[in-house]
Amino acid sequence: MALKGLDIFKMTPKTNCKECGSPTCMAFSMKVAQGAVDISKCPHMSEDALAALSEATAPPMKSIKVGTGEAEYTLGGETVLARHEKTFVSKTRFAVNVTADMDVDAVLAESNKVDYERIGERMHAEMVYVEYTGDAAAYAEAVKKVSGKGKTIILGCKDAEAAKAALEICKAEKPVLNGADASNYAEMVEIAKGAGVVLGVSGASLDELYDTTAAIEKLGYKDLVLDTTGATVKDTFAATVQVRRACLAKNPDRTCGYPSLVNLSKLAAGDEPMQIALASLFVLKYGSIVVMDKMTYAVALPLYGLRQNVFTDPQKPMKVEPGIYPINGGDENSLVLTTVDFALTYFVVSGELERSGVPCNLVISDAGGLSVLTAWAAGKLSSTSVSKFIQENVEPKVKCRKLVIPGKVAVLKGDIEAKLPGWEVIVAPNEAVQLVKFLKDLKANGEI
Amino acid sequence: MPFNGKSGKFNASINTVEVGCGEKAIKIGGENVLPFYTFDAPIENAPKIGVMISDLGLENEPAGVKAYYEGCTTIGEIAKKAAEMPGADFVCLKLEGADPNGEDKSIEECMKAVKEVVDAIDVPLVIAGCKNVAKDTELLTKASEVAQGKNVIILSAKEEDYKGVGAAAGLAYGQKVGAESAVDINLAKQLNVLISQLGVAPANIVMNVGTAAVGYGFEYVVSTMDRVKAAALGQNDAQLQMPIITPVADEAWNVKEAMASEEDMPEWGPQEDRGIGMEVSTAASVLASGSNAVILKHPASVATISKMIKELM
Amino acid sequence: MAKFVTIGERLSTTAPAVNKAFTTRDPEPIIQRAKQQLDAGAVYLDVNIGPAENDGPELMKWAVQLLQSEFDNVPLALDTANKAAIEAGISVYNRAKGKPIVNSADAGGRIEYIDLAAANDAIVIALCNAEGIAADNDERMTYCQTMLERGMELGMDPQDMWFDPLFLVIKGMQDKQMQVLEFIKMLSDMELNSTGGLSNNSNGMPKHIRPIMDSAMVAMAMMNGLTSAIVNPNDLRLMETIKSCDVIKNNTLYADSYLEI
Repeated sequence: MALKGLDIFKMTPKTNCKECGSPTCMAFSMKVAQGAVDISKCPHMSEDALAALSEATAPPMKSIKVGTGEAEYTLGGETVLARHEKTFVSKTRFAVNVTADMDVDAVLAESNKVDYERIGERMHAEMVYVEYTGDAAAYAEAVKKVSGKGKTIILGCKDAEAAKAALEICKAEKPVLNGADASNYAEMVEIAKGAGVVLGVSGASLDELYDTTAAIEKLGYKDLVLDTTGATVKDTFAATVQVRRACLAKNPDRTCGYPSLVNLSKLAAGDEPMQIALASLFVLKYGSIVVMDKMTYAVALPLYGLRQNVFTDPQKPMKVEPGIYPINGGDENSLVLTTVDFALTYFVVSGELERSGVPCNLVISDAGGLSVLTAWAAGKLSSTSVSKFIQENVEPKVKCRKLVIPGKVAVLKGDIEAKLPGWEVIVAPNEAVQLVKFLKDLKANGEI
Repeated sequence: MPFNGKSGKFNASINTVEVGCGEKAIKIGGENVLPFYTFDAPIENAPKIGVMISDLGLENEPAGVKAYYEGCTTIGEIAKKAAEMPGADFVCLKLEGADPNGEDKSIEECMKAVKEVVDAIDVPLVIAGCKNVAKDTELLTKASEVAQGKNVIILSAKEEDYKGVGAAAGLAYGQKVGAESAVDINLAKQLNVLISQLGVAPANIVMNVGTAAVGYGFEYVVSTMDRVKAAALGQNDAQLQMPIITPVADEAWNVKEAMASEEDMPEWGPQEDRGIGMEVSTAASVLASGSNAVILKHPASVATISKMIKELM
Repeated sequence: MAKFVTIGERLSTTAPAVNKAFTTRDPEPIIQRAKQQLDAGAVYLDVNIGPAENDGPELMKWAVQLLQSEFDNVPLALDTANKAAIEAGISVYNRAKGKPIVNSADAGGRIEYIDLAAANDAIVIALCNAEGIAADNDERMTYCQTMLERGMELGMDPQDMWFDPLFLVIKGMQDKQMQVLEFIKMLSDMELNSTGGLSNNSNGMPKHIRPIMDSAMVAMAMMNGLTSAIVNPNDLRLMETIKSCDVIKNNTLYADSYLEI
């Protein structure tokens, strides 16, 4: 964030001594803000002021890397509070909670069943949260079971000895040690520093969390994650929002400038629908890591869909891969319909086609990720692009020679027919919601 | 040094709209902070939950919904049971049977259902049309008349039919007008202006700014609601200070995640759990983005969202 | 960005009808003119009671109370050379709709108006001017900084100092117009608020020309970051231009009926 002249002026001695070469402190400050003069030209700036100025030019929220290899993730680094202002850059990551008294292998195996792709993005629980329950030996065993499984490990452990032992097992995988609080932070900082891992900080209240974080910063450790989980849902939401807001404020409070961790296994243990509701809330409002009891499809389908939407770059459309998508068991004899590769269009159209129950092939060609009319206007959805794609990719695989094109580009019908000998081109309605009736009518008329 | 956060309280606030009458009447809106930001200032009216029922009955509903209404045969009985659903604040009757492309029920037949529901419940009512603009104008005009004195919300007045529906609901029969736009913030504002220009007081207007299920372009929903609240509270834009009501059930239960049977997608697990997941996630998300009321259908979703709201307030 | 703040200029003793109403404490013409301006979209109203050497405090109190009780605590700019009158006005002023504006300080003889605003938690219009018209933008900036430093030393929020570049008359100083606009840009780059008597630029022009010239000037000035102006809100073309610029600058959300609201 660029510093404004007025912010610099506030820190000058305001004596207008002219030793810097400028007539007034104000003029000097303006020049510094523009980068025309270095701040060191003023011999009267205090150490504190200089330190504050250098910090003020650093990003307000740190980017923190956790895990290694494929399981390395960047958390934080956000610059805005609302996605329409710019873009949210670091997705919320989901962790599954395990403890030593569970059958850790079974829990992991169950959650690992959820691993799929949605519009080019792999969807799975990226992390495992290993909660310490008081038995150091059992804890080490549990950590061994999650280690080397391609998941980023979070050690939920405030016991120094147990944490050390656990880190001996998994520190090469760059886990998070979520273990510092007001009572043990000095020791935990040493352990995290020694192992070279990110330290999680928690507090009984937002004030305590803040003070502990400030104290840890004073010890020189800034690879942190703030566990904003409080005693209640309300406290947790308040802390998570306020921490993010404070670090992205006009005058950033950098002690708040770290990613957050919200533990739903503590706030809504055993209540899956409630965990889905709260996880949705924290995907939207500033949770960097969300810990869940388990990952099932009922949990994953809505949450990963939501996350994919919210963290999409407003400037970049979401695209689906070009290809033939059979629907309702469509085969080589089924009707061919085509539309653009804009993800939203694809989802809406494929949803309606599914509802119709009619077996068909949805053909998606590359249209630059634009909606139908925009793609047409930009020349990315043309009779040439459609006919070429059909000839190269569809004709070898599909025998049906009936092609349905979007109603909004009805004008392309003649040209496509001319370029695709043997094909009958049918114009669909303008809106996807009318597709069900349209297909039913086609069927009733014996066209398909 | 304790945490010193600046309050995000605004000088402007969302309008308070009262719906229904008598003891069970509800108030929506009124807040001067972002959704659930009770740490900035108290939020007087918690977001409210409505239960959606259809004049087509229960035939197409998931097992858990059917089970909840077991024994109910008439729309009146269904409405009464919906009103008793734990966590529910109001009922939304959807007259989808009127759709000319569907059952194409007559207006008279639909009005019987409205009358029956009005007589059966004492909680506030929302009446939704069949989404066919030509039919809805007459349907909702009549519904406004039949429900006179009950202070219901009429969903909805759109760009195409706001004059008819707005005048009937908002002026002739003293109901609340639901102004509907489809994830288009400029149109949302424009509709409020137009309906106000008809003479409907701002306190009698609520907005349905549109939604989608999570995963289906939901980022547009988030940004629309974020921007509505930013303009209403941050810029004191009086034409966007109407509270937002969002029908979630139709969107959430109509996507593949909720509709694919376990037979077709065995790895996905029980279908109803997925439907509840979609409904709960979409509802929580629109509430977090600024909806003052949501309309759901599954008892498990209503229970969960009601619990979430209570815990956040 | 915040919406452009219009300050309605039509309650001024320079208008004979207003002068007479102030002198005789006749509420009707005052209320009528205020209503016309507010209906047309004015945010603040300027209350210019002239030098008011004899009865300034009493007159300003009367005017403030009259306007604020009639128009739901409408925010006001208190405009007089009589400092005691401004203080008296503030003493009865209701801040529900916005802080009072002290109109105005300069870097010369009226610099103490900044002290007055600081002491009363008011906004101050700060003319970047001392005696005579500033020769160039360096001089304007020196005045600006002098006033800014004074205000900040007294604990004022810089946002409460609205700097006035002093709009110059085109018929006579046509070659200086771009300089004024550049100065507005400098203020904007410093994130400072700005305002000014916009219509001064078209002084002496035929009546039908002035709305056109004022509209062009406000559009160019808003482009450069002007945040407020003292205007005639009943100039429809000007107000439509301001509303349009507010939309283009994303200060207000567009709707087809934006000109009607």
